[in-house]
Amino acid sequence: MTLPLPVERRRSPLAAVPDRPRARQLEASGISKSYGQRLVLDDVSLSVGAGEAVAIIGENGAGKSTLLRICAGLIRPDQGHVSVSGRVGFCPQEPGLFDLLSADEHLSLFAPALGLSREQALRDGHRLLGEFSFPIDEGTQCRRLSGGARQKVNLALALLGGACVLLLDEPYQGFDHGAYVSFWEHVARWTGEGLGVVIVTHLLEDAAHVDRVVEMAIPRQQGAKRA
Amino acid sequence: MRLRRILVPAQMTGRELVRRRFALGLLTALPLAFYGASATHNNSAVSTGGIAMAFSIAGASIFVALTARPVDQRLVLVGYRPYELLLARLLLLELFGIAIAGVFSIVMVFGTAPQHPWLLAAGVGLVALASVPFGLAVGALAPRELEGVLVLIGVVGVQLTLQPTQIIAKILPFWGSQQLLQRSVDNVSSTGIAFPAGLAYAAAMFVAAAFVMHRRAPLVRAAQAA
Repeated sequence: MTLPLPVERRRSPLAAVPDRPRARQLEASGISKSYGQRLVLDDVSLSVGAGEAVAIIGENGAGKSTLLRICAGLIRPDQGHVSVSGRVGFCPQEPGLFDLLSADEHLSLFAPALGLSREQALRDGHRLLGEFSFPIDEGTQCRRLSGGARQKVNLALALLGGACVLLLDEPYQGFDHGAYVSFWEHVARWTGEGLGVVIVTHLLEDAAHVDRVVEMAIPRQQGAKRA
Repeated sequence: MRLRRILVPAQMTGRELVRRRFALGLLTALPLAFYGASATHNNSAVSTGGIAMAFSIAGASIFVALTARPVDQRLVLVGYRPYELLLARLLLLELFGIAIAGVFSIVMVFGTAPQHPWLLAAGVGLVALASVPFGLAVGALAPRELEGVLVLIGVVGVQLTLQPTQIIAKILPFWGSQQLLQRSVDNVSSTGIAFPAGLAYAAAMFVAAAFVMHRRAPLVRAAQAA
């Protein structure tokens, strides 16, 4: 793992355990990205193994979400390479939902692309939403949902159809405490099933729930040395 | 299975559109207002009303394209191809456009009694056909709704104010429709290349929208969609 001034920590239960060989689910190397004159990522690398949970932390503007979007294949990096061993489940920071469609309609919309029948997508989606204690009827239009409920739909859509690696950008925004606790129980379950999980977060206490924490810093402009 | 990848997004686009009832009502009333205002004292009322219908259909297309933009990348990431999403919207919006064109043709045929009612219907139909790809292209290129609507008002507004014989009118998207509509009442205007010109413009706009959508698409798609 090489990131700008990376600070990698291991959660305490694994701290004394030597690295287990893990199949690489996601490998990003030498990623650089600028928006106009502003350098956002400078030669960043990230790898995630099967069954591994990695938290990415850092101040605003450090490029956490940009890195995640590049790993998901949503943004083209200026330099660098990303390889993923299977399907990516991506949960964006802003729920990418149609305001006038319901959770059920979103599940139906995603179904053909994932190779699922409508019935199967609704069954799997309802199970996922149930696990996150989705509070209301799945037929309610998304514009009438609370921020936390929208985020649960967002998360369920990221998980629908299965994935080998989950890229979650502050996935629990708006969650109440119970849902937040439940979310981390799910992360433990997903990693137990062999999924790689990358979570962008601002909460330092999340470090206790992951295998590794990667801290990103705002890169200095090219030509200047990093602090 | 392949057809389902177009029909389901089309169905969802339709549901979203139908739920914007108030906006749809306003969009439909707009060309009727243009036509109604000019019908009693202006012999180009048919042309004015028909071209103003582009406000409704292209406007709806712009809103559909811009509303979907934040979700499109995600839909492509899970396995849709950009052209499938674009075709789905084209299909649904053309159905919507043809329905409006049908109603509007009847209103204007009875309101104006043109010499060539079928040319009027063809002109209004061509407005519907060209408006959807035009709106989808503007929606793909405009950064926000405001800019998209301003482009729409500018293009349709200029087309409305120009005579079809003027050079600028000929390079705008609804010139072919304007020719057909004018000919339906004056028996003078030429209709030679009007229909092919309108269709060619529509095809060019669709290609432009597809190009922009393809450029914005994620670099990777779900393996199972390949």
